[in-house]
Amino acid sequence: MNSTLKVNYLPALTYRFLKSNNSEIEIKDIKIQDVATPDAENVPTSVTVTKNVTEADIQKLFSGINEKIASRKTTLPGPNGDTSPLNDTQTVKTGMGAEIDELMKEMNVPVTLITAEEGYEIKEPVTIKYSLKDGDCALGSQVIYAKKGSELTVIMEYDSEPEANGFLGIQTRLLAEEGAKINLIKVQMLGEKITHFEDIGGVCDDKADIETINMQLGAGKTWGGCRITLVGDKSVFNNHTGYLCRHKQSYDMNYVADQMGKKTLSNMVFRGVLLDEAEKTFRGTLDFKSGSAGSVGDEQEDTLLLSPDVINRTIPVILCEEEDVDGRHGASIGQLGDDTIFYMESRGIDEESAKKLMIRARMESIARMIPDEAMIIRIQQFIRTIL
Amino acid sequence: MSENNKSVVDIDRSVYDIKDVENEQDFYRMEDGFTEDIVKKISEEKHDPEWMREFRLKSLEIYNKLEMPDWGPDTDELDMNLISSYVRSKTDMKGKWEEVPEDIKNTFERLGIPEAERESLAGVGAQYDSELVYHNVKDEVAEQGVIYTDMESALTGDYAEMVHEYFMKLVPPTDHKYAALHGAVWSGGSFVYVPKGVKVDIPLQSYFRLNAAGAGQFEHTLIIVDEGADLHFIEGCSAPKYNVANLHAGCVELFVKKNARLRYSTIENWSKNMYNLNTKRALVEEGARMEWVSGSFGSHTSYLYPMTILKGDHSTMEYTGITFAGKGQNLDTGAKVVHQGKYTSSLISTKSISKSGGIGTYRSSVIINKEAKHAKTSVSCDSLMLDSISRADTIPGMDIRTNDADVGHEAKIGRISDEAVFYLMSRGLSEEDARAMIVSGFANPVSKELPLEYAVEMNNLIKLEMSGG
Repeated sequence: MNSTLKVNYLPALTYRFLKSNNSEIEIKDIKIQDVATPDAENVPTSVTVTKNVTEADIQKLFSGINEKIASRKTTLPGPNGDTSPLNDTQTVKTGMGAEIDELMKEMNVPVTLITAEEGYEIKEPVTIKYSLKDGDCALGSQVIYAKKGSELTVIMEYDSEPEANGFLGIQTRLLAEEGAKINLIKVQMLGEKITHFEDIGGVCDDKADIETINMQLGAGKTWGGCRITLVGDKSVFNNHTGYLCRHKQSYDMNYVADQMGKKTLSNMVFRGVLLDEAEKTFRGTLDFKSGSAGSVGDEQEDTLLLSPDVINRTIPVILCEEEDVDGRHGASIGQLGDDTIFYMESRGIDEESAKKLMIRARMESIARMIPDEAMIIRIQQFIRTIL
Repeated sequence: MSENNKSVVDIDRSVYDIKDVENEQDFYRMEDGFTEDIVKKISEEKHDPEWMREFRLKSLEIYNKLEMPDWGPDTDELDMNLISSYVRSKTDMKGKWEEVPEDIKNTFERLGIPEAERESLAGVGAQYDSELVYHNVKDEVAEQGVIYTDMESALTGDYAEMVHEYFMKLVPPTDHKYAALHGAVWSGGSFVYVPKGVKVDIPLQSYFRLNAAGAGQFEHTLIIVDEGADLHFIEGCSAPKYNVANLHAGCVELFVKKNARLRYSTIENWSKNMYNLNTKRALVEEGARMEWVSGSFGSHTSYLYPMTILKGDHSTMEYTGITFAGKGQNLDTGAKVVHQGKYTSSLISTKSISKSGGIGTYRSSVIINKEAKHAKTSVSCDSLMLDSISRADTIPGMDIRTNDADVGHEAKIGRISDEAVFYLMSRGLSEEDARAMIVSGFANPVSKELPLEYAVEMNNLIKLEMSGG
């Protein structure tokens, strides 16, 4: 196993001095002992959970959609600094990239396949919970497969003892067939001494929809990647990410909406707060491929900086080789406005309380989208505790 | 590609593309390639002081060690062994237009340079291949104490110490491979010094013409605008088209002192066999202001990102740029800014148009250092796609290291909306005119910042001819 994983490659490289073209995870001292996905809780009927699925089975599952992706490829030149060839070996292109696949393969991580049967709209979420104890080092891999016309919600929660040391790396791959919808919710409330990565890759066929909600609230060092390929016409990708980094926490992320089909729609929202000496790198890419006529993409980032010692890197990329598209990106980065603080103070709320209020408001604006009241309460409690 | 957009055609470049046949007896051409011997020869040719000779050789050493970046346009077709570093006419630089050799004079006449000088400029430098052939500054500007001369004269004349103090201090040869190459073989360019408190009401201009096939142009522009002074400097560039690659690796260093203002306007209109690997950088002191206006139209490949270092408190920067990438072009352009001082602000606004397979990339970086309290920055980049065989990419980067900053960024990519065309057509415009009007309007934020004759040139460069139907 390589001692360093190179992950989160920007789809089109830029200046080296920005130190954002990719990121590295040091894993030489990590001794992985656990590679099993915990049992899913509350599995409804019409959902099948299959353990220990081989990579060959996964390749077979994705072969049809991958043929469709291959048929859409053109000979047009890629962007300057194109890194897409680095992902060519992946069965499903993910945000963090091929070296995560290699790690999973090398560590013989078994895949758990969660399948929603054709035509079933399952409202009850499937829950998978990782609870780490001190010293736990785990990897996990899941494939979520929504067959034609089905809908499935999966909530994955990660927590640990506050002082626990450890490592948790998860790769989740998604396949939404025609007219299907996958809601994937990830809530990370690990202790600050834990290193964590969260790698997501998904594909949408015609009129399919992938919705992701990502709450990154704990862990010392976190890497997150998410790449959704909208190969089907009228397919949709919606993402809402909320993150809170404090002390010396770091969060390095790479989100890509790869829009290939006609009239695809992607909408990515990122809301975060940086405190103390926290560090965050955001890479967000809308990639309009040739043939994606009528597609719309939007990515919005809103970052609140609450300490003079934070580091915020933002690389919002739009790549476009199709004329008939509408791509937008907006970023707003800064501290609380004086007028906001003044308003709060005029209502009897001191500055420190106003900041805490704003942090909670930001995080809860994402958390409230989770279709699980108990989970929302746990998130609120976790935020209150750490603040 | 939609039928409608087939009607957007390339502009007539004939005025720029006329080649002047350079008679061997009238021109001196250095052998191709970049070796120590060639660098020594250039140094001898130019009667460099010893420090400059050493500087050139050290730069060459750095050039040979540095790699090309992995993020930009491909330059594999640029064979450096087939590029001549130095080509000059066997004539001295003239201070009177009548004394310039006829063939060279004709080239600049066609480009409208002397006419512009007569009508709207305070001074002109005209570079042909590797050397300036004409340099003139109006008496009233000279009387204000403004120095506007060629780099070689400045290097060995009364301003030698000043040149030594500033030359490639802002863009060191270690900056990147082509900065190092520039340091080794630079030739020509302008030196400008505006004394304290002097406001130059009308612009100075340098025009760079690369006429020789398979040649490089490596002019160095050094401008120092002293405290409280004000200057508008215009740079124009063009070259005829050949079937071999040409290289432009100029370097512009701008020092904007306390409470001074400098506006630097450029229309880059190189031919489509040109590799334009240019470096521009400004250091802005307390209360000073730097304004960039940039139009990139020609060249086969461009790497161009004017950089501003807002060193002083309350210093400001504004960058307004447009890039038009047509057939066979890969134009990678944008801006860089570093906020160091307190209460600094930057505003970057760019437009790009891609058509007929052209690749237009907007690339930028905004760095706000820890000590840059109360910094404000706003970045806006809009891209217009005119067909589906082109590319328009935006790759902005931000690195913010203080919470006491206000950062806004927005980017948009799209096409000419059918509704807008329909609306204009309902008001009596033809479809062709409607599309032309929309594209002109898209480029207007840049063209309105240019002096009139340059705005006209720019509008000519993006002129649209609609075929109808």
